[in-house]
Amino acid sequence: MTSRKEMNMTLRDVRVKRVTLNVEEVDARDLLLRVPRACVAFITDDGPQAEPVNVRFKDDHYLVGIPSRAASHLTVGEEVVLVVDDGVQFFDLRAIYVRGHVQPLGEIEGPNSDSFWFEVQPMRTVAWDYARIREVPDES
Amino acid sequence: MNLDDLAVFDVLRRARVARIATVSRSGRPHVNPLYFVLGNGRIYLGTVDRTLAALNIKADPRVTILFNIEREPSDSRVLRIHGTAVVSTDPKLCRWYVVRDIRKYFMNRRGLWNVLTHARLLPAVRRFISSGEKGNECVIEVRPEEAELLTAPSGLSSS
Repeated sequence: MTSRKEMNMTLRDVRVKRVTLNVEEVDARDLLLRVPRACVAFITDDGPQAEPVNVRFKDDHYLVGIPSRAASHLTVGEEVVLVVDDGVQFFDLRAIYVRGHVQPLGEIEGPNSDSFWFEVQPMRTVAWDYARIREVPDES
Repeated sequence: MNLDDLAVFDVLRRARVARIATVSRSGRPHVNPLYFVLGNGRIYLGTVDRTLAALNIKADPRVTILFNIEREPSDSRVLRIHGTAVVSTDPKLCRWYVVRDIRKYFMNRRGLWNVLTHARLLPAVRRFISSGEKGNECVIEVRPEEAELLTAPSGLSSS
């Protein structure tokens, strides 16, 4: 006869795992150093907007350079999503997703001086890597 | 510009990943990279119906999509398309999408090689897809309304 303890263990064993693509942000941080592709999304009166951007990751700060023509759409404190992604083939797909708020930095001199730079102060950061798909303990 | 414009079509033909921006019911932005195929003057993106992109479109159909030419980093063109979208779970449309998705992304030398070199991960992919954790398979059908060609900010290897 199966004891309650054994039954609980069996149920737990069945439920303990789920499949995930997510990785620690630090494991995808190389994307922030070489920035294969990056865009930022925000909201205007016309709906959701997406703009290709420059990204610099400096001292754990997400610095984003947006073309000056688009900067007027952004306001301090506004919520934005930054995505830096890489890969074309299925198991090469990787990304870092940062949801946060706009904090101004002003103009940064250099090759991208036509950009308006701001910092994304992160509220939530997620990274994924399709080549790291795996089972993990389900802690939900 | 519209999808028939040669410059627009050229980028769409070469691009491999679409970055689709959506807005939630409460007005929050979201953007996510997704595979896509073209057909009937529409853009079709594959996902599942509990993702933020799908949920957002059900609440507000407006979308903006960016396309880069990923395999040619020196090509700084970025195509931006504004449009309206619907989320469909119609099995016929989903099958139509999957067949074209497989042809585009997997039935070629690079795609097959990528799968073969990661064959050990296929059971996990199958479990991931069949778990239904994120909902049922669906297709986001985008009707393009406006297209513009941008130049990616300098200083990036691409984008």
